[in-house]
Amino acid sequence: MKHVILGAVSALALSSAATFAQDYPTKEIQGIIQWGAGGSTDTVMRAVTPHAEEVLGGTIVMQNVTGGVGAIALNQVEAGQADGYTLLMGAENPLLYKVMGLGQKDYSDFTPVDILARGTPVLVARADAPFDDYAGMLAYIAENPGEVRFGSTGPGGLPSVVTAMINAVEGEQDVISVPYDGDGPALTALQGGAIDVMPAVLGAAIEGIRAGAMKPLLVFETEAVDALPDVPVATAANEGYNKYLPWGPFFGIFVKKGTPDDVVEKLSAAYTEAAEQPDFTELMDNRGFTLLNLTGEEAQSFLEDWQSTTAWLMQDAGQTKASPEEFGIAKPAE
Amino acid sequence: MDALSAFFTVFANPELLALVAVGTFAGVYIGAIPGLSVTMAVSILISFTFSWDVYPAIALMIGIFMGGVYGGSRTAILLNIPGAPSAIATAMDGYPMAQRGEAGEAIGITTVMSFFGGFIGIAVLALAAPTVSDFALGFQPRDYMLLAVLGILLVGSLSGESLVKGIFSGALGILIGLVGMDPLTFTGRFTYDLPLLQSGISFIAVMIGMFGVSEALAQIHHLDTPAIKQKINRIVPSFGTIRKHLPLSLQTSTIGVIIGALPGTGGDIAALMAYDHAKRVTRKPERPFGKGAIEGLVAPETANNAAVGGAFIPMMTLGIPGDAVTAIMIGALFIHGLNPGPMLMIDQPDMFWFIVGALVVANFFMLIFGLTGIKLFTKIVEMPRAVLIPLIMLLSIVGAYAVNNSITDVYWMLAFGVLGYFMRLYGYPLGPIILGVILSRLLDDNWRRAIISEREDLGRFFWGIVTSPLSLTLFIAVILIFVSQTPLWTRIKARHAARKEKATDQ
Repeated sequence: MKHVILGAVSALALSSAATFAQDYPTKEIQGIIQWGAGGSTDTVMRAVTPHAEEVLGGTIVMQNVTGGVGAIALNQVEAGQADGYTLLMGAENPLLYKVMGLGQKDYSDFTPVDILARGTPVLVARADAPFDDYAGMLAYIAENPGEVRFGSTGPGGLPSVVTAMINAVEGEQDVISVPYDGDGPALTALQGGAIDVMPAVLGAAIEGIRAGAMKPLLVFETEAVDALPDVPVATAANEGYNKYLPWGPFFGIFVKKGTPDDVVEKLSAAYTEAAEQPDFTELMDNRGFTLLNLTGEEAQSFLEDWQSTTAWLMQDAGQTKASPEEFGIAKPAE
Repeated sequence: MDALSAFFTVFANPELLALVAVGTFAGVYIGAIPGLSVTMAVSILISFTFSWDVYPAIALMIGIFMGGVYGGSRTAILLNIPGAPSAIATAMDGYPMAQRGEAGEAIGITTVMSFFGGFIGIAVLALAAPTVSDFALGFQPRDYMLLAVLGILLVGSLSGESLVKGIFSGALGILIGLVGMDPLTFTGRFTYDLPLLQSGISFIAVMIGMFGVSEALAQIHHLDTPAIKQKINRIVPSFGTIRKHLPLSLQTSTIGVIIGALPGTGGDIAALMAYDHAKRVTRKPERPFGKGAIEGLVAPETANNAAVGGAFIPMMTLGIPGDAVTAIMIGALFIHGLNPGPMLMIDQPDMFWFIVGALVVANFFMLIFGLTGIKLFTKIVEMPRAVLIPLIMLLSIVGAYAVNNSITDVYWMLAFGVLGYFMRLYGYPLGPIILGVILSRLLDDNWRRAIISEREDLGRFFWGIVTSPLSLTLFIAVILIFVSQTPLWTRIKARHAARKEKATDQ
């Protein structure tokens, strides 16, 4: 019993010491990555964090905690102390947990440290698909209902959101949606001819497009992107897309809500500087991500907008298990 | 000429040479400890080598990969605990050999055969990468499903005396593999709304429990039996032994390369399929399979090391990972400013030849480190059981915890250990359980993908099978293997043999 009390006292002393930001960090920081080793979240976090460590003057030990579409990692960090010694390194998925019935917690239980970057969705088709552009694809689907195979990554994933956007703007498309474990395996299947069309993040598809192994049909942006200057953008193809774009998956670093402001500021400053390093910006460029580097209020409103757009889009597509209204997620302004 | 100089980069550079050596050495030990996996080591190395140049970083990772795949066989042979899933088949004949006092010989053959398999894998990578990757890319969901069915039929080979008990074990394994959040629909299966079960049951925890803890518990029965003295005079296998197994090892290496090159299957499935193949083609093994047949060591070990070269094939030609480790290496290439994809071979041919060179060097170091230090290792088996049993328990607990840093996995591991012990006691084979867990996702996901792709129409599904040469071949193989395991076949075979005998009598 004595040991327990002693331990508790020293833990208390430690945590109160941690509130003085000038001392922070006094011990190792843990970084919990929501996705598995080798994935894009993992790559981005492992690339940016060494720079942040330098600025911070401490060590950040990264660990992949996978499972439950990232919910296991999120719950683990949320169950810990709000002292800035456990960071959640995640992607956009938690903002849909509530409406998809995957969990009761999301980023509203966290404070954003830095929203690093955003991806661009792009619609690609296999190289020998019987259509070469977006209009051709729509025409082909109309002529051959129930024949074209779209890849997906399960409800709430990027392909399901993009497909919902297409259905909302162009009217319901009669296609087969074949689920894969992630955009990597789905793009592999696309090249092997198992699926015809795949909505993917630009970074995952860019090398295949360059090599001619897949055809880009449409870029889901409001302006042309540097990597694919000749591919038409969605808003030019149909103005209806203006309602949803720009939209894309993102990467961000979070701490539990209640973490002292000065600690959050120190972390934010470290990651902001880290994300400006030339080798990191080059990595983001190469993989087709748009650097955002949002902190504080800006990051917060980015998260709210993203959640409101996406949750209501999924609700209107009938893919949700609970209405966003139940969780107080505001309907996007028309 | 450039290709040649890139190939010899590692040979000519002492620093790179040393890094491959260190990597391979570390890999052998990481591979030998159940729960410490190559995947884990390589992902840690990504942050560790962040500020390095790309060549040294890749050199170290390749060393660990090569050494780690081989290292899994060590504990499989000595303690009956596969250090990695790809060494499960190795335990089936390796451990009986160690129990006869032939651990040294078993390790020797394993090492030389791993070297041989590794070499075939690298040769195919170097000479035929684009052809193999085109072939691998052609696998449709229905082909993966048929491959999984083919894998399920291995239950027959892994069952020992009772096929019924084997099928029960295999079904249990498939059931264990199904638990958790279904990744295709995000619906919980057998999760009973418990957050604990959402991410499923860790396959490594099941493996360590079933093999490690149940082995330790079973050993308690023999507390007073003295440990087996190991003969260590014959470590390097004779040339005759190697030559005898050359045809088999060429076949199993080919299985290894192809299964390794398929995105979605890796060394574990390759090793099990190779084991089954060996059992099928070996007419008269010196000893029956499962009792210490050398062929039972040769097949899985050539296959899992050949799968290493195989896994690099789609990675280098298409930027598609062949397994979990190459997936992380693709991430590493990105971080170091390269863009792995179909253009890598054209834009950066040096990288390809550098990797081939590093693999060759790692393969040689694996042979050297594998054949030295065997004496020390075999001492482990000679330890008194009072020391050995706690050691196995310790290794099992550390290993199960290390996979996800999760204490839950330790509980799973212990529970499956106790279950495994009773299953052993009542003659239920454990191999099929692991087989079931490995294959359940492959089978389930691809069956659903295949049938969804055909608008849930069985007619269209079978039409697809019949019209694709690859699917048809796999389908016929499934039917033939299935029929060859039924009593009908044995009866026909017996009648055929009897008629033949009659003919010779006359």
